Amino acid sequence: MTKIISLFILEAVFCFTFFTVSYSDINLIQTTCKKTPFYDLCVLTLKSDPRSSTADVSGLARIVADSVKAKAIATLNQISALLNSVKDPTLEKALEGCIVSYNTIIQADIPVAIDAIEKNNPKFAVQSATDAGNEAQACENSFAEKPSNSPIFSGNKAVHDLSVVLQSIASLLL
Amino acid sequence: MVDTRPFLPVSSHAGSDPTGPSENRRKPMKLQLSIFFVLLTVGFFAALLTSNNGSDNGFVKENEHGSLASPSSEKQLRPVSRGPAVGVSEKSNRLFAKDNENQLAYPWNNSMLSWQRTAFHFQPEKNWMNDPNGPLFYKGWYHFFYQYNPHAAVWGDIVWGHAVSKDLIHWLHLPLAMVADQWYDKNGVWTGSATILPDGKVVMLYTGSTTENVQVQNLAYPADHSDPLLINWVKYSGNPVLVPPPGILDKDFRDPTTAWLTSEGKWRITIGSKINKTGIALVYDTKDFINYELLDGILHAVPGTGMWECVDFFPVSKTEENGLDTSVNGPSVKHVVKASLDDDRHDYYSIGTYHEKNGTWIPDEPKIDVGIGLRYDYGIYYAAKTFYDQNKNRRVLWGWIGESDSEAAEMQKGWASVQSIPRTILFDKKTGTHLLQWPVEEIESLRLKSYEFNQVKVQAGSVVPLDVGPATQLDIIAEFEIDNEALEKTTGSNVTFSCSSSGGTVERGALGPFGLLVLADDSLSEQTPVYFYIAKGSDGKLKTFFCNDQSRSSVASDVNKQIYGNLVPVLEGEKLSLRVLVDHSIVESFAQGGRTVITSRVYPTKAIYGAAKLFLFNNATEASVSASLRIWQMNSAFIRPYPNDKESQ
Repeated sequence: MTKIISLFILEAVFCFTFFTVSYSDINLIQTTCKKTPFYDLCVLTLKSDPRSSTADVSGLARIVADSVKAKAIATLNQISALLNSVKDPTLEKALEGCIVSYNTIIQADIPVAIDAIEKNNPKFAVQSATDAGNEAQACENSFAEKPSNSPIFSGNKAVHDLSVVLQSIASLLL
Repeated sequence: MVDTRPFLPVSSHAGSDPTGPSENRRKPMKLQLSIFFVLLTVGFFAALLTSNNGSDNGFVKENEHGSLASPSSEKQLRPVSRGPAVGVSEKSNRLFAKDNENQLAYPWNNSMLSWQRTAFHFQPEKNWMNDPNGPLFYKGWYHFFYQYNPHAAVWGDIVWGHAVSKDLIHWLHLPLAMVADQWYDKNGVWTGSATILPDGKVVMLYTGSTTENVQVQNLAYPADHSDPLLINWVKYSGNPVLVPPPGILDKDFRDPTTAWLTSEGKWRITIGSKINKTGIALVYDTKDFINYELLDGILHAVPGTGMWECVDFFPVSKTEENGLDTSVNGPSVKHVVKASLDDDRHDYYSIGTYHEKNGTWIPDEPKIDVGIGLRYDYGIYYAAKTFYDQNKNRRVLWGWIGESDSEAAEMQKGWASVQSIPRTILFDKKTGTHLLQWPVEEIESLRLKSYEFNQVKVQAGSVVPLDVGPATQLDIIAEFEIDNEALEKTTGSNVTFSCSSSGGTVERGALGPFGLLVLADDSLSEQTPVYFYIAKGSDGKLKTFFCNDQSRSSVASDVNKQIYGNLVPVLEGEKLSLRVLVDHSIVESFAQGGRTVITSRVYPTKAIYGAAKLFLFNNATEASVSASLRIWQMNSAFIRPYPNDKESQ
């Protein structure tokens, strides 16, 4: 009888440990992303980065910051390409404004956010992430043809939404 | 024989089996397997359940934002609030203007941006600044140190900037006092405070962020105590003097205060921290600023307030109109605990009683305890720190004023942040619950031409221009009287009012809003109202609110458009009084002698230079008001580097 009981205990321990360990990293991603307004985007972004399997919340924030930067660079390239062939002066002005916004995101907002997360002073990461989202929105708002979207709407939306995710995750570190 | 291998599978052949034939052995085996699979299933479902555990935390519903494939009509990306990230109502607090048709998001030209620099507020010549550090008066000079980035207009690479002044107004920049040259402050020479010893010597305690990003406390002192300018500083060779104690995380231990003496003749300091989400202040005693003993208890704690940054602890007199040295204690003294809350970027204070024997402090009114009650300032104001000015026997308060425009603008203008005008702090004897803040009197030395207006009547729903010449550098003192009849006649209601959730000055009440429009252009397309709003409850009681409305402060869409403010106690027989300092892109406003204070950053595109004007306004529906004002043009403080030649001041 004691043999059975001890075996039972061993297997109970084994099963629960196994499941806790294998589900914990996914759980951290899920619990963290639930605290952001863009759950699906957050989970997708984190899961597609291999670092997320061993990251703590700080590490997850870093992954999102890197993703904002990557999306911002891609969008900046799009804007530059459009500028090369633009004829309409209003459109040109809007695109030039967007260059300023995106340079700010890439050269100021994200580096400061990453630095602040690393140095454990998360409020500056929250502020920078907020600004990044605002810059993307400002760019989108500057296009005159409403109500339709700008030619770089999907880039602006991606950068904006990811910035909000970054802002939320950085807030968890306060 | 006893089975000596209890953890081996039963199917092993070793050991006797008193129960007999193999059939009996198979039963336990089947049992084991079925238990195993049950556990497997249970574990699987448990994992599934916990991972899908209900969405909560009150954040905005997902369909409001939409997924990446949102319909094209979802043109408007949601504005990103500068407030707490999730769970905050966005409705009336929109960061961006609602109707920005054809508005360029980035209208800034160099003329607009260079106008933003202040004339008489402390700021370095360029780059980023944040917390005030180690303010003190020494050998005839006021010293001011500050968190500074020597390389960029954003936070980072933080070192200690330094400036001196004879009068807290005219500042001269000196070389950097401390840089990140040691392993224990390599990742940041962060905030700290000065203590003046009885023999007049100065010691500085500051937080360093080490190469491993651990927050530690370090000791530094002037290299030459006979140098009144305190240009060079030495870091104690045995630094750090304090490391995070057990139970405190490496990232939650910063901003040591000025020390005060205990009755045992030891020095005592407090350092803010947190345990989970409870903000706390740790207490240490020391005899030499090198060896410390952590007290068993803490100074105070308030659940739910998060990390306490830049804690400050000081006495105020209940009876006298002067400041007190930090070590003063006694029956006619109250003690203030102040914390900067990391979670919401606001400074909170509370008045209470200090119990010296065990190093604890208890608030007079637990409902307005630290972090849940009164704020120094209801606008943009953080990391404040006081010092005892032994030169003029007063307690002086410094506060960091950040920017509320876009980072893009800061990159272009090449600087970010200013400091508030230093304020004296006094206990408000009349309310007993508030502190009074008031710009130091030396600011009056900047006053030039003055204008006086007596009993100007402002009818309900009207605007009165005040001709004072240029209106970007002003000191305004005003008193308002509201039509008594309207006060009595008006029916009260149950509706609760708050500055931040109101519609600003376009939202008309019977008894408000009324006040001043600063940094307004002639057509009022840009205006920053600084105003009172009186609300009458259904019990007939009047409540007065003091607000700053930024919603129409600029046509630019990338600046903060929130409405700041709070209740201001107005006692029987008191007139409504206001003081406003306008200095380009900063407006500091004080109601009822400094009982409620609001600082705003304002970034107009049109109401700048000669186009900026001043108006009185009254947008109430029933009451007329009359205002009496004295307004001064303000000179520049000519803040500049300390001159190389020894003759000039």
